[in-house]
Amino acid sequence: MAGFGLAGMAHAQEKPKGTIPDKPFKIGHMTFFTGAGAVLGEPMYKGNLLAADEINAQGGLLGKRKIEILKADEAAGTDANTKEMRRLKLSEKIDLFMGITSSGNSPALGPVAEELKLLTMFVDGCTDFLFDKAVPNPRYIFRITNIQSADGSTCAVGVALTWPEVKKVAHIHPDYSYGRNCFDHFSIVTKKLLPKAQNVSEAWPKLFSTDFTPHITKTLAAKPDLLVTSLWGGDYNAFYKQALQHGLFEKMKVATTLAFGSAPHSVGRDHPEGVLTGVHSNYHFTYPAGNRWPANKTFVEKYKAKFNEYPNFQAEGAYTSTYALKTAIEKANKLMGGWPDDEAIISQLEGMMIAGPGGYVYIRPDNHQGYKDAITGFSKNVPEYPFPILDPDRIITIPIRNITAPPGWPKGDPTSTYRWIDQTWPQVKTA
Amino acid sequence: MDILVIHLFNALLYASVLFLIAGGLSLIYGVMRIVNLAHGNLFALGAFITASAVGQWFAGSSSALLFLLLPAGAVGAALIGAILEPTLLRPFYRRPEEYQLLVTFGILMILEDLMRFVWGPYPVSATTLFEQMGRMKIGEWIYPRYNLLVIAVGGIAAVFLWAFVYRTRFGVLLRATSQDMRRASALGVNVNRVYVLAFTIGCFMAGLAGAIIVPGQSAVLGMGVDALVLSFIVVVVGGLGSLEGAMVGALIVGLLRETAISLFPELELAVLYLIAAIVLLVRPAGLFGRAT
Repeated sequence: MAGFGLAGMAHAQEKPKGTIPDKPFKIGHMTFFTGAGAVLGEPMYKGNLLAADEINAQGGLLGKRKIEILKADEAAGTDANTKEMRRLKLSEKIDLFMGITSSGNSPALGPVAEELKLLTMFVDGCTDFLFDKAVPNPRYIFRITNIQSADGSTCAVGVALTWPEVKKVAHIHPDYSYGRNCFDHFSIVTKKLLPKAQNVSEAWPKLFSTDFTPHITKTLAAKPDLLVTSLWGGDYNAFYKQALQHGLFEKMKVATTLAFGSAPHSVGRDHPEGVLTGVHSNYHFTYPAGNRWPANKTFVEKYKAKFNEYPNFQAEGAYTSTYALKTAIEKANKLMGGWPDDEAIISQLEGMMIAGPGGYVYIRPDNHQGYKDAITGFSKNVPEYPFPILDPDRIITIPIRNITAPPGWPKGDPTSTYRWIDQTWPQVKTA
Repeated sequence: MDILVIHLFNALLYASVLFLIAGGLSLIYGVMRIVNLAHGNLFALGAFITASAVGQWFAGSSSALLFLLLPAGAVGAALIGAILEPTLLRPFYRRPEEYQLLVTFGILMILEDLMRFVWGPYPVSATTLFEQMGRMKIGEWIYPRYNLLVIAVGGIAAVFLWAFVYRTRFGVLLRATSQDMRRASALGVNVNRVYVLAFTIGCFMAGLAGAIIVPGQSAVLGMGVDALVLSFIVVVVGGLGSLEGAMVGALIVGLLRETAISLFPELELAVLYLIAAIVLLVRPAGLFGRAT
């Protein structure tokens, strides 16, 4: 338990009430272990593994039940994934399903988990669609990462704060749900905050492309003040290298939603400074910095020691998910004694506030969605790291309630949050 | 006007890489009648090997050495090809096509896992050469010189391949085997040797495509499957088994993609499948394909 943090952790060393079985607690962890998505999947699994190892070193959940993780590859495709979820529950008898990276998979797996009554913690798969439409009244499924719409909104707020003079905006987004969602929410927020800004160019490269030359040419030809992009992982790395050789960064400001999110160490020192570099509005391992939030310091140290790399938001999300589960089980045990059933664990997860490495996460009871304050920042090279990080002097954090629809807000298209912003945010008056 | 030149370069850049991949696929099919589904991952393997050689093992060496190392991926892919053909493919030539598809698809998956095992899940890049070649001015626009090198390599490869197939003695054997394997064999052509060489050259081309793009892009898991799908579009348009077809197909795909991105960005993905569908409807064997 050492150093994990604050809320919910204080009772960790207390002796559990009643008799606890000692059979292993099985977690089915499905994420991308192969393909381009592994850049996000692998750290997610590692975050889960680190937490499980720590808990097992203390004897396991409630001091008795060791966590056993069964891996499943999300890259098998949505149909195969739903079958694998059924198999894990029915044949392997898993106690908890965890993981999921893709927004294409969480809405397909959510209803299956509900049908199977399978306690599920989605670490990512962050589409608004999951709790807006696919499973509007979840019982067994929870999700820890911030909702997708937070990315576009955070990026737009960052732009409005930093470059209010922007008039002409170009977009390059991967052509799938995440890119579309970022585009929609960036657009609705800029409509409110920068009413004079106009879209002058759009490009929609395929996800997992590595040739962005045509998109860069098109963007340059439109002569925008600002480029907004939600490219990530290998796509973003290839993009910025090519953009550098086209002189793109010299001609416009650049704002991103996930540039430093996938693998913080995979971006080179040649990356320009001063770019608004998003981290999926969730977490970057350098914030909160130093000893300001010891839970982060120890998490990063332990992760680095174990895996010889720095954690990304997926690692933090899976780590926090595992501890949220542990906390819920301990609280339920305290109330009822013995090993708590799923209903009791769910009742403790609903409304839980837990301190993770990245800060507080609040799990809203009505939609089982985790909320934590959104973060973004600006790229900067510092002597301490061989790759750029978020400029420690210019971090932007946004209270999550300011950019997501509140409880009870009617579900709407394209997302509840989009409608909420459209209907309730005042429009900035321009001279 | 200058921007049109840049659009043209972009289209040629894409077409060059596609030609190398699809040309290899088509050559192998033309000679051996095997649809090599593993082809995409030989491309990826070429990318990873060059990325490691240039970006990791010899990083910091002189740029002359790095340029010499650039084809390492092509050589690596060719070596793998030279091993795969006699060991895993040859036993299946007499079996129905489904067996060959299953075997090559299996190799595709094994190579994918092998790359993940060796290089891990994160992108590997080797941008030194891309950066060292620097940028040039085209009117008011800046363009990376390296892209022109890629276009040149694609062009030179096409010329060499044409000369090889149509102007050398081995080319004659290759074409003879391609037209009628039994008769060529009866006339004393060592078909096994032709097959292993054709397969190796095909893999070399795929590896070269991977090697040449890596400095300007990066090696990522999954890139092979994407390349495979794209090269299928090229050979569907151009005609499977035809080198001219691969070249024309790659040029059409490159130009269409560039046009779609600038004029109809929403259609970037759809346009390639649309053109493949149209060609299939109008000329099912492809523009240069022979109906068999």
